[in-house]
Amino acid sequence: MPEQTDCLVVELARKMVETLGLDTTADLVDPAAPLIGAGLGIDSIDTLELVVMIEKDYGVKIDTRAAGVEAFASLNALAAYIRQRRSASSP
Amino acid sequence: MIPRPRVFVTGLGAICAGAGSVVELRRLLLAPKRSFQPPTVFSTAGASAALPVAQVSGFDVTLPDALPRTHRLALQAAQEALAAGPAPDAIVLGTTTGGILTTEFALQAGSTSPHAYRFHGLHTVAEHLATSLGVRGPVLTISTACSSAAVAISVAAALLRSGHARRVLAGGADSLCRLTFHGFRELQLVAPQGSAPLDAQRAGMTVGEGAGFLLLESAPNRRAIVAEILGTGMSCDAYHATSPHPEGTGAALAMRRALQDAGLDPSAIDYVNLHGTGTVDNDAAEARAIKQVFGSRLPALSSTKGLTGHALAAAGAIEAVVSIIAISDGLLPANTGMQVVDEKLELHPVREPTRAQVDSVLSNSFGFGGNNACLVLGKAPAEQASIEVGTSPPPTDLLPPLRVAGAACLTARGALAETWKALLAGESVAGFVPDAVFSKAAPAAFIRRLKRLPRLMLALAQTALHASGRTSPPDLLATGTAWGPLAETQDFLRKLFETGDQFSSPMDFIGSVHNAPAGQVALLLGAQAPNWTCSSGDRSFEQALLCVSLAMAEGAPSALVMAAEAHQAHLSPLFDPAAATGPLASDGGAALVLLPDDGAPGARVRWLGENGKGEDCGDGAAVALCTQLAARVPLDCYDAVALSVPAAMGADADRELLRLAEVLHPCPVLAYRDRLGQHASVSATATALAARAVLEGALPFGQAPIPLRRKRVLLLLLARHATAVEVFA
Repeated sequence: MPEQTDCLVVELARKMVETLGLDTTADLVDPAAPLIGAGLGIDSIDTLELVVMIEKDYGVKIDTRAAGVEAFASLNALAAYIRQRRSASSP
Repeated sequence: MIPRPRVFVTGLGAICAGAGSVVELRRLLLAPKRSFQPPTVFSTAGASAALPVAQVSGFDVTLPDALPRTHRLALQAAQEALAAGPAPDAIVLGTTTGGILTTEFALQAGSTSPHAYRFHGLHTVAEHLATSLGVRGPVLTISTACSSAAVAISVAAALLRSGHARRVLAGGADSLCRLTFHGFRELQLVAPQGSAPLDAQRAGMTVGEGAGFLLLESAPNRRAIVAEILGTGMSCDAYHATSPHPEGTGAALAMRRALQDAGLDPSAIDYVNLHGTGTVDNDAAEARAIKQVFGSRLPALSSTKGLTGHALAAAGAIEAVVSIIAISDGLLPANTGMQVVDEKLELHPVREPTRAQVDSVLSNSFGFGGNNACLVLGKAPAEQASIEVGTSPPPTDLLPPLRVAGAACLTARGALAETWKALLAGESVAGFVPDAVFSKAAPAAFIRRLKRLPRLMLALAQTALHASGRTSPPDLLATGTAWGPLAETQDFLRKLFETGDQFSSPMDFIGSVHNAPAGQVALLLGAQAPNWTCSSGDRSFEQALLCVSLAMAEGAPSALVMAAEAHQAHLSPLFDPAAATGPLASDGGAALVLLPDDGAPGARVRWLGENGKGEDCGDGAAVALCTQLAARVPLDCYDAVALSVPAAMGADADRELLRLAEVLHPCPVLAYRDRLGQHASVSATATALAARAVLEGALPFGQAPIPLRRKRVLLLLLARHATAVEVFA
């Protein structure tokens, strides 16, 4: 379902730019690029801020370093991570 | 060279999880048993409900109108340290929480009565002690996150060496509260099973609470001496808002400075009480720093935070008490909580309480903002040893004047030049600083996460440095702020309450600590200098000035001192009556670059004194201070007295104003808050403007500028604890 994936990625990009006060716009964030260390200037505090936002808004936890590496590989990876955990936890 | 005055410890007080007194702490160190459990001082929900904290037991009174927990913890430990002896001359207290636990309940209940928030301010903890114990001299509040108490002890030592006090109560106090509990939880720094410092599987800290105090004296009765403060050292990482420098560079610098201050070789240290929070990054960075300083011959070392929890601003004082117990009892405390040592750290902590001769201890405290402070403590001099000449500090003398090499201020009218122009035209500069004036202080990427107060401070620091023509970072950095980063505090608590104590913002937590703006300034300037944040209500600026004056009296070559407030629409009017004064409600502040008085042209600024109101005399504190000063400074040498009258003084101000006019007659007294605005750091602004006024020969704080023929202005603060600063050319 590529369309649905796009929706979540677009939504995540918007929330990320807003929450972190990034000096860019959501449509300029490359969904395939690494989130950390790739020009967005995102650091460990930002990722923690995103962790809280994702748990609050999507009910999905990112609570180990390994999970963080997986989830923050890119916006596409983050969307996939959220989808996977949500479907795994739904009845 | 005359040996410098020595600083002795003559009393101890402590309270923390598992120990209600020094005797109990001693017992706990001998038979370590930790008592971590989920908090009961506030309710928790969801996953956080199971997280353990280090809560002090038997302190659970939660009457709605009771004194806040921090204040009560502080008073108990302070009384223990004083042991019914006479009142000290001064208090230096470190705290980061103040009355926030009480504030959290009041905010959640929707209370809009300022009365409910009267103990919110960090300064109210030390002021409550001063009132309870009858302390008349300087009452200082330091807030440098988890290094607060160690910094407070180092400031107290400098105050004693300067001769401005002979008996000082110094330490720290913090209570558990939702802000720190959820803040550290969301930073993923809290260990689900409790802190295990230096353990291979360590997973974080255990948030704790408590209070610790040392009674410090410069010339005590020999038999009263339990230990000596041999040296202190401070530094700032200037690396990151919360993460320590991975190589432990700042921590190593503070340790080296403390050893150098003590005149000791690293090999003279018998035991190191580590900061050792149990977080992955702290312990790794601290281990590297230890190896940099001590090389391959490491002293015995341990962290006691796996036993007591991390009492934040109190930790440095509680651990100073632990260090003194190590010395007096010949006991190496165990690194409680650790199961399997992390071999990668290459440290070999003490596993069980061990008997050993301990003469000198290094105690480490590191905090958010990269604020590091280390203490070197030593055993009491042997009974028969004479205390050398020079031990006794000089009779109380004025601190040296400092030359103003650059100044900046921010008011509703803009920067210093615009403010000056408006004042000369007889206009008011009250109101809030327009965003456009200060929002371009630093690159967009640097300030994207920063709210109003750190942005104001960055702009002030940059502008003052630029005005001084200096390009190198200052050798000292002191900031003052009464209320700290209020937008961050408000946003954090609002989000937390909206989600039923589930979610907030790690970013806002980091930003909410009072020393966060100073940390950002250090970061922007690359200043690894000692870094103080004073949070002392309306006299925060004066205390920041005192901190740098004490250090410059001992030889530091330059300083940046500043103070600022950031108005927050919801919280400011609840906390400070100044913010509820309609058109006078203001924010902003000022910064000064200070150098030793080298004779070069320019204005001079000098801290003159701080005096608390005594219960025994009818006069207010400012009148008492002037009377005291008159013995050392001819008060008729001033062209004008610029007076800060905080809105909080209410009707009390009128009576004291009349008496002050009598005492200072015929010198004109100008109450400047009507023109400069009402906010707690406005005395910084007044000082920066006075530094210009003495050069221009006119002080524009009234209807018409007052001519300054002698080029001398006295700046007074009217408050329960009054302060005096002079500016002259």
